[in-house]
Amino acid sequence: MNDRVVITGLGLICAIGDNADECFDNALKGTVGIREVKSVEHSQCYTHIGAENNNFVTPEGEDRASSLCVKAAEEAVSDSDIDISADPERVSVIVGSCVGGAVSIEKFYRDYVADPEKASGADVLKMPISAIANNVALRFGAQGVVDNIANACAAGTMSIAIAADLIRSGKADVVLAGGSDPMSSLAYSGFHALHALDNEPCRPFNKSKGIALGEGAGILVVEAYEHAKARGAKIYCEVLGSGVSSDAHHITAPHPDGEGMQAAMERSIANSGISASDVDYINAHGTGTPLNDSSELGAMLRVFGNEGKVSCSTTKSMIGHCLGAAGSVEAVMCVKAIERGIVPPTAGYTDEDVAAMREKAGDFDFVPNKGKQRKVEYVQSNNYAFGGNNASIIYAKEGAPRKLAEATDEKIYITGLGIVSPLGNTAEAYAESVNSGAKAHECETCGDFTSVVDRADFDAVGMKLNFYRKLDKLSQMTCVSGKRALANAGIIVDENNAKKIGIVAGTSDGPQTDIGNFQKGIIASGTQSGSAFLFPNTVYNAAPGYLSITAGVKGYNVTCSNGAASGIAAAAFATRVLRTTQNDVILAIGADEDSETVHMLYEKTGAVGAGLKLGDGAVTLALERASSANARGAKKYAEVLGSGFAHCPVEFGKYGCADKLKEAIRLALEKSGVKAEDITTVMTCSNGLKSLETVEKEALTDFAKAKKVNVKEACGEGRAASSALAVAHAALMLSGDINDDAGEYVLAVSASAGGSYNAIVLKKA
Amino acid sequence: MDERQKTVADKIADYLANNLRLPRENIDYDIPLFGDGIGLDSVDSLEIIAGMDQLFGVTLMGVNDGVFANIRTLSGYIVDHPDFKEQDK
Repeated sequence: MNDRVVITGLGLICAIGDNADECFDNALKGTVGIREVKSVEHSQCYTHIGAENNNFVTPEGEDRASSLCVKAAEEAVSDSDIDISADPERVSVIVGSCVGGAVSIEKFYRDYVADPEKASGADVLKMPISAIANNVALRFGAQGVVDNIANACAAGTMSIAIAADLIRSGKADVVLAGGSDPMSSLAYSGFHALHALDNEPCRPFNKSKGIALGEGAGILVVEAYEHAKARGAKIYCEVLGSGVSSDAHHITAPHPDGEGMQAAMERSIANSGISASDVDYINAHGTGTPLNDSSELGAMLRVFGNEGKVSCSTTKSMIGHCLGAAGSVEAVMCVKAIERGIVPPTAGYTDEDVAAMREKAGDFDFVPNKGKQRKVEYVQSNNYAFGGNNASIIYAKEGAPRKLAEATDEKIYITGLGIVSPLGNTAEAYAESVNSGAKAHECETCGDFTSVVDRADFDAVGMKLNFYRKLDKLSQMTCVSGKRALANAGIIVDENNAKKIGIVAGTSDGPQTDIGNFQKGIIASGTQSGSAFLFPNTVYNAAPGYLSITAGVKGYNVTCSNGAASGIAAAAFATRVLRTTQNDVILAIGADEDSETVHMLYEKTGAVGAGLKLGDGAVTLALERASSANARGAKKYAEVLGSGFAHCPVEFGKYGCADKLKEAIRLALEKSGVKAEDITTVMTCSNGLKSLETVEKEALTDFAKAKKVNVKEACGEGRAASSALAVAHAALMLSGDINDDAGEYVLAVSASAGGSYNAIVLKKA
Repeated sequence: MDERQKTVADKIADYLANNLRLPRENIDYDIPLFGDGIGLDSVDSLEIIAGMDQLFGVTLMGVNDGVFANIRTLSGYIVDHPDFKEQDK
């Protein structure tokens, strides 16, 4: 396996510049971009500052998150001098975001509150995080894996780590990877409600009382080394190993001991085959909140010591906290530091501060106020997020010694299922409903198929009132299905296995109901009146974050969002994680909720009128390495073989071409070593919309003889829940729990509005 | 509790039920809000502080923990506060 992955292009826009060089030069000077905020109403707030880029005007008709991201991507692609059209199927796009289309969300609900008729379906399509990577893919014609990473403030770092994994596993040659988040009333009001904003420019690790909210986008061209060499590309540096962990502690606050942060840092170092003493520079998360800073500093001192060998700065002191873009903005800073042999500073330190810091952290070097020339061979960049998600990555000078952790080719099995669906809330109940031909639960007012989770479910999985009351429906369903899957797999989480159990969650629309509730609240009462209670639920990774807390799992934790196919995408992604990380079990989840709000949004886009019947639910597949499953004698529902992904760059909201669904299927079969005629059952994905039905019919002509099963006929279009349910249903057929013989091999396919197609192959275990 | 305080206490109970998604029937005047009672946490307390300001014009930022012990103590503090306004919002 060729494990060398390099960076060949940079694009950046943030409060201190419109391109990568300008931002880095300003950072070296200690330029602080934190000023009075112009794009959010804040007159009644206790603070009025943030870090915006006021030069960048969102083009008419576009969403700011996408347009910032496209701008950064244009710079990166041009810098890298890559011709994407030469081999578009090998070019992927992975973008991290926290609030996604929050500016469009505000516009939509302002219109809606004034007059529900006036609010436009076009704005609905700009709201989800899903739209961003699709818009970047559309701009450049990329046709490889397209996905968004929705782990709030850790998303930017994760997206680059995932890009490197995609290249190492042979799924792509080039990935446009990074993150994007705009300044928004949603984030400003939310952090204001949590009293997490500082009323002065933040001075992380020092006197800071909170964050300065920022905005921006960073995109890096991440490329296979051989590919970059072959085209004579300029190579900035290499991407080495990464580490992802979960605190399993609190939805907004880090664990005070910084245990999870430390685990992520140690993992990125170990996975790179280097030692902590090799690291020359750390770009810390350093948000400026007292809680983050104290736990992070403690973790860094434990990993790196306080002798001052390593330099550490937090560029958030100048750029602000760009949330889901933070890791990507900071990645550009790290790459520039390696290129130029100079590290950016932490701004806002007086001489007294430096002396005071010495009391706290010995000779630990915070690079006060001005950039510092030094050896910069290995750099670590760290980000931590709501949900207790921690991410760390190592960048290194080209050719720097390393020994990356090796991937395994172990078989992967589905050993547990947790199904929350309109047909029942356990795998057993679902199978029984299917076997008896029971009718799914329909919501009386809207006619959608809906799942119902209540007190009985919470009691059964041991969730107490003071926990589950905080959760939105998406989180409640996710927690119940995740805990049910662990129980179904016979896994008891304890100190010995907690760090080896992770989560990969997929969602199409995330927590749109509480996002709407939160946004409507601030439209009614002002930015200063945001609900501290609701805000944590507005991030897409809240649901798997709550699950990690209630289940106590501390391994990998990533949330991906790219439309309805996100459930299958999560399963495919999870198999890759199991082969490349320390995790033995990954809970691969597909979850989406229905509600009055969600129904209204789908009415606005015209989908409901065109024949789409919505559904919802959360489906968890416990995927496990063969060695772990065999060691504990686990029941194997099915073996997961290969998966395929293809993307047809179309306007977000539309389905792509049949060719690309065929391509995703071809890739999945090839990877599985299975021929089309071997497939005995196909789990299809039509949802009542004519456009998708036509595509699917054309793409499945090779499978005329195979049995066809569509879970949406009984349970509606539950988006990510449906695509994960298709896999779960297939597994239950293969295991004999559903009385409908699937044969030996099952192909499951799924489509996302936006042009992405996923396919995965399961085999009888 | 006099009628005035009782009105405030009931409004607080409704507010907790609506904004913190607590079952209304679980909330009485004396159940401890934090710890072993309804088990509220720091994020909930921010929501309560914001809500009391909005409903009654009383700022609770920085007041001692005893005020938050239960609805009886909280409503007592509010009705005795010079900024207290009986408003419907």
